[in-house]
Amino acid sequence: MPLSSRTYEAHDIGAVQELYHSNGWTDGLPIVPPTGEAVEACLDWAMMPPDQLIGIEPVRGLPVTAEKLAINAVMAGCLPMHFPVVVTAWTAMMQEEFLMHGATASTGGCAVLVVLNGPIRLELGASGGFNALGNSDRATAVIGRAIRLCLINLLDVRPGSIDRSTLGHPGKFSYCVAEDEEDTSWLSLSQQRGLPREASAVTVMAAGAPRQIMNEWTTRPEEILETFAAEMRANLRHYSIHPGNYALVIPKQLRDHLQAAGWSKSDIAAFIHERARIHRREWAEVGKGAVVRDRGDSVYPAMESSDQLLVVAAGGPAGGFGAVIPPWLGNKSHAVTLAIGACVDCEPPK
Amino acid sequence: MSFLVLDPTPEKAPPQGQLAPRLASLEGKTVGFISNGKEGTKGFFSHLERLLREEHGVGQVVSRTKSNYSAPADAAIVAETKGWDAVISGIGD
Repeated sequence: MPLSSRTYEAHDIGAVQELYHSNGWTDGLPIVPPTGEAVEACLDWAMMPPDQLIGIEPVRGLPVTAEKLAINAVMAGCLPMHFPVVVTAWTAMMQEEFLMHGATASTGGCAVLVVLNGPIRLELGASGGFNALGNSDRATAVIGRAIRLCLINLLDVRPGSIDRSTLGHPGKFSYCVAEDEEDTSWLSLSQQRGLPREASAVTVMAAGAPRQIMNEWTTRPEEILETFAAEMRANLRHYSIHPGNYALVIPKQLRDHLQAAGWSKSDIAAFIHERARIHRREWAEVGKGAVVRDRGDSVYPAMESSDQLLVVAAGGPAGGFGAVIPPWLGNKSHAVTLAIGACVDCEPPK
Repeated sequence: MSFLVLDPTPEKAPPQGQLAPRLASLEGKTVGFISNGKEGTKGFFSHLERLLREEHGVGQVVSRTKSNYSAPADAAIVAETKGWDAVISGIGD
């Protein structure tokens, strides 16, 4: 089946860049020219016809096809092997519980965090090691960028248009991390969320910027995790009191202490759920006394239950650092995990 | 070297909502407010209600608040709008 998108002729690579920038089709960085050949290679890899419907954006009823996703993925720098991850992430984002319109339009300015699990990480060379939340590798860089270019071009999530973010954050260029499954005894994130270990999977979360913590002065799990919990309490005080999905990124140095003490991800989540909570009256200490009203004694946990915590093993081998990634706005959006290649709305065989 | 490159946008304009016909008068009409529930909507809508009643003779004002301020209005609220002559939807930050 031929591609149906309109084609443009540009005389050289500079003219390609100006064509895309002048039409508002980029994130401000140069793009890879989306030629028919490159786009067809992505579709062939994923065994998708160009008009395959990936989903319909639930609020405005806009169809999202494989061809348009592939064009934007090529622009972001994706190779064909990266494309199935982009398709799965977008499928997850279009699930109702993710609330994509709200999460991408909000003044709150979150980005879509993408966590990769399973064998595909190794196939793509996606690293969960050094600089895991930064420019760690090609695969996570281009997959994360493709998510944003698709939002810009398919749903008009441009600054000042659908995207009404007051500040945004750097993760809106690219926000993708692979879990370091080889260097941990913990279950992977996707296993924690019910998928088999052998499945490759994507988890998406409407996420604020990472808040980095440091504690190199203890090996006790309770003390290490208290630092993470304190950062979550700070988020409850300074940003939003609403409970929802939080992610903890735990690099090897701190992870080793937790694992040596026999703490699983579930143990961590249970501890954090108990410790990451504040009284509403604490808002008065940070300039928000006007909204405490008569509910000062009410207790607000960061999560409604411990299973809302997404614990991710990732980061370089040295340094007593970690990160708390807060939700966009509590339970307005829920993280979604999908296996790559799985059908989310297929009828079971009869 | 020249390139043939593809349009990354949907190319078709998304379906647009349509405004209801303008009312000849607000006298005795029922006007619904749909608030997103944020703090800033309270003062705005209470002031607007006073203006509509006192200066435009609106008969009834029905105020409704969305259960999720980041999502479309709840189905029950949308159904209720059929009984109103006009709807004003507002957000407050």
